Amino acid sequence: MKQIVLSVFVLMLIVSCKEEKAETKKSSKGDLAYNEAEKETHKELYGIWTGNIYPEDENHEYTDDVAKKISIKINKITKDSVYGQSIVAGYQRLLVGKLTDNGTKTMFVLDEPGSNKYDGRFELTLQNDTLKGSWASYKKNPDTAPFKSLELVQKQFMYNPNFMLSDEIDLTDWSHPKQEEVNYTISEEGNAEEEVVEVMDVYRSASEDIFKFNASTQKLTEEELKNLQKLDLEIIRNTIFARHGYSFKKNSIRYFFEVNPWYVPVSNNVDKELTQLEKDNIVLLTRLEKYATDHYDSFGR
Amino acid sequence: MDRGIKIQAQAFSKWNYILIAAFAYFYWLMLKITLYYVPYNTNVAFLQIKQTEVTSLPEYRYLFYAHVYTSIFVLLFGFLQFIIPRAGNGKVIHRFSGYQYVFLILAFAAPSGIYMGLHANGGLPSKLSFILLGTLWWVTTWVAMIKIRKGKFLQHRDWMIRSFALCLSAVTLRFWKVIIVYLFHLPPIDVYQVIAWLGWVPNLIIAEILIYNYNKP
Repeated sequence: MKQIVLSVFVLMLIVSCKEEKAETKKSSKGDLAYNEAEKETHKELYGIWTGNIYPEDENHEYTDDVAKKISIKINKITKDSVYGQSIVAGYQRLLVGKLTDNGTKTMFVLDEPGSNKYDGRFELTLQNDTLKGSWASYKKNPDTAPFKSLELVQKQFMYNPNFMLSDEIDLTDWSHPKQEEVNYTISEEGNAEEEVVEVMDVYRSASEDIFKFNASTQKLTEEELKNLQKLDLEIIRNTIFARHGYSFKKNSIRYFFEVNPWYVPVSNNVDKELTQLEKDNIVLLTRLEKYATDHYDSFGR
Repeated sequence: MDRGIKIQAQAFSKWNYILIAAFAYFYWLMLKITLYYVPYNTNVAFLQIKQTEVTSLPEYRYLFYAHVYTSIFVLLFGFLQFIIPRAGNGKVIHRFSGYQYVFLILAFAAPSGIYMGLHANGGLPSKLSFILLGTLWWVTTWVAMIKIRKGKFLQHRDWMIRSFALCLSAVTLRFWKVIIVYLFHLPPIDVYQVIAWLGWVPNLIIAEILIYNYNKP
C-alpha cells in the first residue's frame, strides 16, 4: 500500500514537472515570435548540414568515444541571432548563437542549452560549401572527449521508402561481444600441433537477409520472417526509422546506418512520420524479436 | 513367473534414483514451459510465432491448449509406470495412472499433436516428422492397451516402452535444440527442421534396443 501511495506521489511529481516544461516552452515560443520582426539574412544557409564529428583524442583517453554522424539544422538567421538544432546519437539539442560575416569569412558560434551533460559550443566556419569547425563541451565527462572536430555539408533530407542498406556494410555487431571459449590448434614449423583454449570475444553477425526485406514497401509476413535471427530482425525494423531520418542512440545500431550515404539523421522521434504499412511491420518485427530474445537458445521451442 | 515383472520387483537401484532425478529436472523445465500458457493467452511464448495460425484457423488455439494442458500430465503418468513397483498396492496405482495415460493420449494429446503437425514450422520436413510422430504415438499406445486387455504382459510392456519413448520426445526435442543452437548458431527454423526428427527417431531406436535386450532368451 505504501508503495502505491509513493508511486502515485512520484507520478504526480513527474506530471507537474512536465507541465512546467510545457510552460517554459510556450514562453520561448513567445520570444521567437518577438524576434520574427527582425530581418532574416543568409537564407541560403538554412536547412540541414550533415557530416561526421570526430573526438580530438591524441592521448587515447577516450577510446570508447568514436566518430559519429551529426546533423545541424539551421532554422533561422537574423542580424543578432541564429536558431537551430543539433542531432547526434539520438540527442536532439536546441542551438542558439550568432553569425558573423565580415565579407571574407562567415562564421557561426552555436550554443547547446547546457541542461544536458553532453552539451557544448560549436564554432563553425564556412569554407566553400563546407562548414568546418570544432565543438567544445561545457562540462568534462569521463566517456566523451571534451574537444571534437566536425565537417558538414548541406544536404536535403527526403524520405524514400526504397532506400536499402548498402551491401558493402560490415555485418558484424562489434559493440556486443559475448565471451566464449574458443578451441583452436596452432602449429609452428618444427613444433607439434598444440591445442589452445582461450576465452575470446565472439561477435554476432547479421545475415544477407537484411538486404532482402524492405519493411517500408512490402507487407512482411510471419512465415517469411520466422527463420531470421534477432539481429536481422532488429536491423530490418530499424531501417524503417533510418529512412525517416531517426538519429539512433545505440552504437550497435548506428554503425549499420551511418555508412549509408542516404542516411541523414534529422530527428530523435519519427513516430508521426511512419506509414501504416511500416507500423504494421514494426508490430510484427517487434513480436518476433521478443520471441527470439526469450526463446532462441532456451529449453523450449 | 513373468520376467518383466521380476525385473520390476527388484529393489530400487542407484540407477533408479539417477533416473528419477533426471526426470524430475526435465519435468520441472517442462512444467515451466506449460506455465507460460497459464493463464490462457493466445499470444505468448511459442504462439508468438504462430499468430498466422491462431488468427486464421479458429480451432488451432483449442487444439494447441488441449495438447499443452494434457501432455504435462501424460508425461508424469507415463514416467510413474516405469518407476512404481507393480506388486501389491502398486497394482492399483499402475492401473489408475495407466488409464489416465492411455485416455489422455488417445483422446487429446496425440490427435492434437497430429493436427499441429499439419501446420508445423519448417515446411514439409518438419510437418512429415510431427505427423508421423503423432500417429506412431497414438498407435503404439493403442496397441499397448489392447495387449494388456488380452493379458499379454510382456507385449504390453514392449509397446509401452515404445509409446513412452515417443512421449519423451517432448523433452529430447527441446534438449537437442539447446545443443544444436549452442554448437551451430543456426537460424531458428533450420534448427527446428533438425530437431523435429532428432527429437524422436533416436528415442525409438533406443526403445527397440531395450526391448530386444529384455526379450533376449
